[in-house]
Amino acid sequence: MIKAYILIRARVGKLENILKEARKLKNVESLAVVAGDYDIIIKAKVKELEDLMSLTDEIQMIDGIKQTTTQVVEKEITV
Amino acid sequence: MISIQIRKKHLFYVLAVSSSLIAAVVTGIDSWITHLLVETYSFEKVPWLFGFSAFLVGTVVTLLLCLLFSIPFKGRSIGGRLIDPSFNHLRLVQREELKYHLLAGLGNAVTTVGYFYLLSVMVDPSAVLPFYQVVILYLLMVEVVAEKNSPTLVEVQSSVIVTFGAILGSISLSGNIDLTAMAVIFLVVNPGWVILSIYQRRLKLLKIKDKPNDSLNIRFWNLVFTFIFITVFILVFDQVRGTSYFMESLDASRRFFWWIALSMSVTFFSYVFYIRALGIGKASITQAVKATTIIFAVPVTFVLTLFMPISMPSTPVLWLIKGMGMILVVLGIVSFAVTQVKAYVFIRAQPGVKVSSLLEEVWNIRGVDSVSAVSGKYDLVAKVRIRTLLKGYERIIRKLETIPGIKEFRWNSILKEWENV
Repeated sequence: MIKAYILIRARVGKLENILKEARKLKNVESLAVVAGDYDIIIKAKVKELEDLMSLTDEIQMIDGIKQTTTQVVEKEITV
Repeated sequence: MISIQIRKKHLFYVLAVSSSLIAAVVTGIDSWITHLLVETYSFEKVPWLFGFSAFLVGTVVTLLLCLLFSIPFKGRSIGGRLIDPSFNHLRLVQREELKYHLLAGLGNAVTTVGYFYLLSVMVDPSAVLPFYQVVILYLLMVEVVAEKNSPTLVEVQSSVIVTFGAILGSISLSGNIDLTAMAVIFLVVNPGWVILSIYQRRLKLLKIKDKPNDSLNIRFWNLVFTFIFITVFILVFDQVRGTSYFMESLDASRRFFWWIALSMSVTFFSYVFYIRALGIGKASITQAVKATTIIFAVPVTFVLTLFMPISMPSTPVLWLIKGMGMILVVLGIVSFAVTQVKAYVFIRAQPGVKVSSLLEEVWNIRGVDSVSAVSGKYDLVAKVRIRTLLKGYERIIRKLETIPGIKEFRWNSILKEWENV
């Protein structure tokens, strides 16, 4: 399994629409609205890198997305 | 595939409250079974006979339920679809689980014998259940020593509010406190429950073959180990005291099989939800939410009064005390729920610094729930969970600033979050 964080910057006024569409996406482990450098953080879990590409493509297609940055997880420690 | 997106916080409360509702129903059924057992066997035997019978019958019933939930349906097991997404099928205990199962089984055996003793001396379940809630304070103390996350002031305050509320609720129906029952609660039942909760949580957080452990296997194997301990206890007791409780327990299991099977089937769901909640929240907070049992115990007690000689409060003052207790329990739980701050922290490492050692250093900071080494713009992504933003500064940011390998970090507070469950 491959995990990745997809960091999203949204256009002003489009956050609700992005959230509505993002919640329909497959391979999404969690979805968070944040305050800071980014607006939304998606944690994705996919079988292959190709699936991650499809997911980021789908995200890019959502109306209101200004920029996405993908961070692929190499190692994770969690409680 | 069934996939529900829900806020993780909501899932936690749904699981914990469902578990407490079912637990209240179970206590009602158990009171009824105890009533039947007291009519058949002498009073002092009942805790032992019921304890043994519950785990003998419970192991059989849970085995059947787990096998039923292991049946595949459209590529996933029924249990995985309906109860716990991590469940695939019933399996053998793995080596890494064994130590935790032994300790959880021992805790369950001790707490159960104490529980049935209480039920046999106090027929009113709503006067028995609330004493359980004091266990939150034990758990908080254990977490201070053993867990990564020490309690904040809000957690301590909320736990004390819940505990006091539960105690107030407990004295309202019968109007008096049995000192022997209190000693059993504080010295036997609650310590046993603490051991059970801590090690069930450890089991739930374990990864089995790189997959999250599931609550159904944990429950089944906990029953098996508890049954072994109860059998050892009862055989030793028979040897020392010259009694024949073991044989009488087998007789009780046969005579009251269906009632006990009903109780243990319902208990199965209460535990499975509780274990799942333990995998999400700290043991003390899960226990606090489970304190809602005292609220559910009231309608259950009303129903029981139709069949059993249970006295209800006769004066408005007693009802007032009980009402105040319930309000305190709810207030304590709401206070837990609303005071939580989560954030993502994105970290860049200084050139030449080993990211793997930085990963460990960030992981060792209290309040860090997870940390990932990532490729891309940043080197590490940490997810933190604290009670207040002030704690975020004191506990996280100040620590991050002392780590020499960190070039810069960015804090992104989580405003709302959904998890795929």
